[in-house]
Amino acid sequence: MSRGAFWLATACGLVIAGIVHIATVLAIPRFSEGDAFTRARASETLDHPLRIHGLAGVPAANGEWLPNPDPAVSVGVCSYDLDDGPMRVSAQAGSLMLSVSMHGRRGAFYAVTDQAAVRGGLDLVVMTRAQYDEALANDVAGEVTRDVRIVAPARRGFAVVRVIAALPSERAVADAAVQAVSCTIDSPAEPTGEEPGKGKS
Amino acid sequence: MALSSGVGPAAGTSLREEARQDSSGRLTTRLPKRLGRLARGAASRSSRVGLFVYALTLGGLLGLASADYATSGGYPFGGTAIGSWTAWPRAGSLDSDPYARAVNARRGDIPLAVGEGMLLTAASDDEGRTLDAACSYRLAGVTPPARAWTLTVSGRGAPAPGQEPVRTGFTSTEILRETDGRFAILLSPEVQPGNWLPMPRPRGPVRLALRLYDTPVAASVGSLDRDTLPAIERMGCGS
Repeated sequence: MSRGAFWLATACGLVIAGIVHIATVLAIPRFSEGDAFTRARASETLDHPLRIHGLAGVPAANGEWLPNPDPAVSVGVCSYDLDDGPMRVSAQAGSLMLSVSMHGRRGAFYAVTDQAAVRGGLDLVVMTRAQYDEALANDVAGEVTRDVRIVAPARRGFAVVRVIAALPSERAVADAAVQAVSCTIDSPAEPTGEEPGKGKS
Repeated sequence: MALSSGVGPAAGTSLREEARQDSSGRLTTRLPKRLGRLARGAASRSSRVGLFVYALTLGGLLGLASADYATSGGYPFGGTAIGSWTAWPRAGSLDSDPYARAVNARRGDIPLAVGEGMLLTAASDDEGRTLDAACSYRLAGVTPPARAWTLTVSGRGAPAPGQEPVRTGFTSTEILRETDGRFAILLSPEVQPGNWLPMPRPRGPVRLALRLYDTPVAASVGSLDRDTLPAIERMGCGS
C-alpha cells in the first residue's frame, strides 16, 4: 500500500516536472533580462545603430554582449516602438556587404541585404498594419516610392545591421558603415512615404 | 439518514465499553492499542502530506533542472546534420522552436535571419571524433554558394587574458586558394604554411562555426550534402 502510494507520488512528481519544464522553457524569453530584445532598448533614443560588436578595437558603449560574435562582422542594433510612429532604416550600399534584419521578441521576421538596394540606397520602413494602411492611403497615385514597407508582427522590436569586413583593413570602414545607417522615426504628423531617403544621417 | 443514526450509537457504545473496560482495570492492555491506532492514523496522514510534498518537490526540482540543462548550452535540437556539420537555418526565425528561443534569450544572441545567412557548426571530425585542441585538422573542399563566408574556431568559455589567439577565423576573401578554387585551412596548435588557423586553447574541445552570408541555401538546407561542405580531416595529435 505505502509502496504503491510512493510510486504514485513519484509518477505525479514526474508529470509535474514535465509541466514545470515546459512552462519554464516557454517563460524564459518573456522574463529574460539579458536577451537581445531587452538590451537593444538602450538604442531607442539614438538615430543611428548602437554598436554591439565593433571590429576596429573601439569598445562598444554598452558592452559587447553577443556570445559568439563573428570576428569579421560589425553589428549594430536599433530598437523601435511603433507607438511613436513607423521606423525608417536608411542605409547606403557601400563597398562592403551590408544586411539589415528586423527582429521581434519571438525572432526575426524580415531580412534584406544591400543587393536589394535601389539606386544605392536601402529604405526600410517598419510599421503596424494601421500605419501601413495609412501610408497606402497617402500614396500619391503614379508616384513610385522606393521604400520597402514591412508590417511588424508586434509593436516593439529591433533592427540589426551587420556589415562584413572581408579583410582586416576594412574593419574601420565596416564600423563606420554601421554608424552611417540611420534609424529614425517617421513623424506621424507628416504623410509617410512621400520623400524617400529623408532620414537624417 | 439511517446510516448516520446507526453510526452514532455504535460509536457511543464502543466509547462506553472502553470507558467501562478502562475502569475495570484492563487499561494496561488497551492503551498501547489505542496509541498504536492513533500513531498509525497520524503516520498515514503525515505520509500522505509527505508524499504530496515529495511529489511537488520532485516535480519542481526536476522540471527546473531539466529546463536549465536544456537551455544552458547550444540549441538542443532543430539543426540539420550534414556530415560532421550541423546547419541551423531556423534558429532565429519566427517559427523557431521554444528551446532555441529560450537559448537565444539566455545568451543574448541574435542569430542570422534566413534572408541574411546561415550558421553551420561542427564539433567533431569526419570520423565522429570530438575536435580536440591538441590535434591538427585539415579543412578542405568547397563551400556552398554564398556571397561571403567566415569560418571561425572557438573553445569553451572566454580565452585566458594575455593568451588571445592571433587569429580566430578566416573570411572567404582572406583565404589562399588553389588554382582550381579549392582551399585548405590547417587548424593546428603549431604554425603551418598556407591558411593556418591557430587553436584557441592549449587543450580541451573546440568548435567550428561556418557562417554563410547572403546564401540561397538558407531557404533549402536539403540541397546541401557532405560534398558541398568542407571536409574535416584529422592529421594527427601532438602529445
